[in-house]
Amino acid sequence: MFSPLSLDGQSLCLNELVQVARQQLPVHLSPDAKKSMQHSYQWVRDSANLDMPIYGVNTGFGSLARVRIHREQSALLSKNLIRSHAAGVGPIASRDICRATMLLRANALAKGVSGCRPLLVETLLQYLNVDFYPHIPMKGSCGSSGDLAPLAHLGLVLIGDPEGTAEFNGQILPADQALQLAGLSPIHLEAKDGLAITNGAQLSTAISALACHDAKELVLAAEIAAALSFEALLGVSRAIHPSVHRLRPYKGSLACARNLRALLEGSDYIDSVPEKVQDAYSLRCTPQVIGASRDTISFAAHQIHIELNAATDNPLILMDENTDNHAYSAGMFHGEPVGMAADCMKIAIAEIASLSERRLYRLTNGNLSQRLPPGLIGSDRPVLGMMVPQTTAAALVSENKALGWPASMDSIPTCEDQEDHIAMSTVAARRCTQVLHNAQRVIAIELMSAAHALNLRKESQPTKKLGAGTEQALLNVRQCLRACGPHATIGDQIEQLRTGICNRSIFAGLPTLTPVERHA
Amino acid sequence: MITIDGTNLSTAELLRIANGEKVQLSAVASQKMDKNHGSIPTDIDILSQKRRWMLGESANASEFSTQDFILAHCAGVGDLLSDQVVRAAMAARCNVLAQGHSGCRSVVAEALIHDLNANILAKVPSQGSVGAAGDLAPMAHIARTLCGLDGIERNRTPLTPEPKEALALINGVSMSTAIAALTIEKAWTIFEAFIWATAGSMEVILAQSQCIDPSVLAIRGFPEPAEIGAVLRQILVDSKRVQSNRRPDAFSIRSGPSVIGTALRSLRQTHHVIYEELNGCSDNPLCINGQWLEAGHFHGAAISTAMDQLRVSLAQLGSLSERRTFRLTHGQLSEALPSFLIEGTGLNSGFMLAQYTAAALSSEMKGLAHPASVDSIPTVQHHEDHVSMAPIAARLTSESTTCLADIVAIELLLMAQGLDLRQQQDRKLHPVALSKIHAAIRTDVPFWSDDHVLHPCISKIHNHIQCQTFSWPIPRLFPNQ
Repeated sequence: MFSPLSLDGQSLCLNELVQVARQQLPVHLSPDAKKSMQHSYQWVRDSANLDMPIYGVNTGFGSLARVRIHREQSALLSKNLIRSHAAGVGPIASRDICRATMLLRANALAKGVSGCRPLLVETLLQYLNVDFYPHIPMKGSCGSSGDLAPLAHLGLVLIGDPEGTAEFNGQILPADQALQLAGLSPIHLEAKDGLAITNGAQLSTAISALACHDAKELVLAAEIAAALSFEALLGVSRAIHPSVHRLRPYKGSLACARNLRALLEGSDYIDSVPEKVQDAYSLRCTPQVIGASRDTISFAAHQIHIELNAATDNPLILMDENTDNHAYSAGMFHGEPVGMAADCMKIAIAEIASLSERRLYRLTNGNLSQRLPPGLIGSDRPVLGMMVPQTTAAALVSENKALGWPASMDSIPTCEDQEDHIAMSTVAARRCTQVLHNAQRVIAIELMSAAHALNLRKESQPTKKLGAGTEQALLNVRQCLRACGPHATIGDQIEQLRTGICNRSIFAGLPTLTPVERHA
Repeated sequence: MITIDGTNLSTAELLRIANGEKVQLSAVASQKMDKNHGSIPTDIDILSQKRRWMLGESANASEFSTQDFILAHCAGVGDLLSDQVVRAAMAARCNVLAQGHSGCRSVVAEALIHDLNANILAKVPSQGSVGAAGDLAPMAHIARTLCGLDGIERNRTPLTPEPKEALALINGVSMSTAIAALTIEKAWTIFEAFIWATAGSMEVILAQSQCIDPSVLAIRGFPEPAEIGAVLRQILVDSKRVQSNRRPDAFSIRSGPSVIGTALRSLRQTHHVIYEELNGCSDNPLCINGQWLEAGHFHGAAISTAMDQLRVSLAQLGSLSERRTFRLTHGQLSEALPSFLIEGTGLNSGFMLAQYTAAALSSEMKGLAHPASVDSIPTVQHHEDHVSMAPIAARLTSESTTCLADIVAIELLLMAQGLDLRQQQDRKLHPVALSKIHAAIRTDVPFWSDDHVLHPCISKIHNHIQCQTFSWPIPRLFPNQ
């Protein structure tokens, strides 16, 4: 299928991360990266002869950097870090989030500035390639210095500590037993290994990266749903005319309008109400609203892309600098860029759903739907039509608002006031994902309702042509719902369409759509 | 065995039913229901009428069954509710119907009770309700199983509901109320553990006792700080460390009675609202004197607001505990205890990350405190144009209690370590009450003389909190209730 990924610390892109996390793309460490890892590792070993403090090698951690540690105790220092820092609580990261986290930590180490052995990266890649799944609790991290606790839980597994947990071949076991089952060896830690494993916001980035990928897909699904609604509600096409959008040239709104035009091309239903000069905002302003969301998701994608290939460790071992002390202490682990991007992305995703729900309201409101039956009642759904799913969508949109507090805005001092500004990037990323999942369901409901509405239109006006894309989208929705069993509830059908968004089956056979780009 | 009669179901009883205790309907309630049912107007097609109001007079009439009506509401999505919550929702609904104003036969209540006692439970998605008109979708999923519409063969005859009965099963905020009731019970358990953590931290930090002096608290103006002070004095009655002649503490200690007293009032207020909703008639229409009366009793504003208020109070408690934890781990603020409560600091990091976890959870609680009840989105052709979002408020508060339990578990963990370190320093005995708590913690979590793995320590104490190891008989009602 795809050729294996060569991990070099510099060129990982979002699509590759998704392929590794969700589609088992094999990964190996690039030989050049291995060399630079060896180089900085050798310096850390040799630094035993230098009489100077190197953070986390011969000093304590956090505010305890004031305490000098004998070099002979460096390995124990690393082990103590992993064990005492495994302070996570709450639900376990899903398999794809765990895999993305491991890949990202490996990629950061592959940059060769962490002063650790290639063995650490090779072990993480082995876990990925044999589908070995460490259990990482997702709550408890402040996102600075990085995702210490979650990565420490990964560390427990790496060292085969029985307090760690991992899953292999369907069995969930203490880490030592799980490693044995998988035929893997535990790692014996050396100087600086503890920091190398834990020091970076990789869990926050993994969650945000997967959410970003899914958000880009959601935008396209939302545009398909919007096109179906536009057609069902006999929309006025001047609102998506290219000459109009060139005059307020947000990249996102240009792209959205372009996609709507492509999907609706050739439709007889559009512009079929001559006395209607303009639609309500939830139709007419779709390019502006989804466009703003597109641009915000693009910004987030840009930030996340940088983080994918970033050095997040502390200290960093910069062998190219002309100095005896190659250890540079900085704040590369601070998750603020990721957290802020996740919070912004969350708003963008919530707005997509909010707009969609308003179109649903119009579809089901007999006073607003251009003479569709109230509630979209018809032979398919004779009792209440699509009335109740609109309430479902309203509940989801409201919940998104309640989750809207931007987590990255909060900070609580930690570590005897040494770590006195923190990112809360993990919380930001998790909330973004929650909002995304709610939004996927809202779009699924709009797909279902708008398809239903178009079918009612077709019944009463069978000779009219549908749009080039919407006709296919209708078929895709129908095909997707065929998988529902005879006792499926409306809720089950909504979930089935959500699955169709996630596995892309609702995109099948559509005209080419402009995706959400990463801003250059 | 708990008897449901519609009048005085407590949250404690609802919790017992949720955890599996058997239920029966009172004879009085049964008669009341059947008498009410006998009086309903026979010339009104309730469901068609409701459908006409929802869809408008222009809607084509349609032949549909009561079963179709139930299925048309099964639009719930998302993660499933736990069996515990589903049981509580069934019992809460039963208690509403038992009040005898819903025009239902007693067999409807008996059907819910049968399925409770046989543990026949629906799979109920947690999302999709806006808390007005009631929790339609989740209650419809429950009704679907009750009435044998889920395609699963079972060893009992399912209920065949009359039209009003199908509506009465779903048209109230019973799911939100159930979650609220289970949540307030959890919150009380955690609050009691919080009291222990408060006393323990005061002991470890060598607090000044003036802030819990009865003469001082008597003039605060609110009765609750005095109550809290009295409890803390009881726990610390034989303390050799908490004395009057110390310098005043930081606010996280000194303002304890004010903050915790405020939370106590909030818990009681919330508890009272939930009790009233549990025993109120959240249904529509109601059959009174042989007539259908239409009102808006299905609106969950009371539960929604109460849950939001509780969540704010819980966030304040989380924040207070976390700041005490910060002081305990801070070498310069802990009255000469070692940094992060560990000897060999440096090689060992001790409880450094325990405070990070508490901080992260405290921050989560802040974010979750955003009030769900202030939002409303119009639905059903603008007929249902103001809604409560009660289920969202209730679920967020439930999640918040889990965060708080971990925060308090962390403080108790540090308290136990701090007591040992303090005793090594000053050779004094702990107060008897605290030493029992300390011993309970030590059965599962050892003293750290060097670094251990933190995660299992936190989760073991979290379990102790859930099992009510740290309890204190704080009255849950206002004094004059």
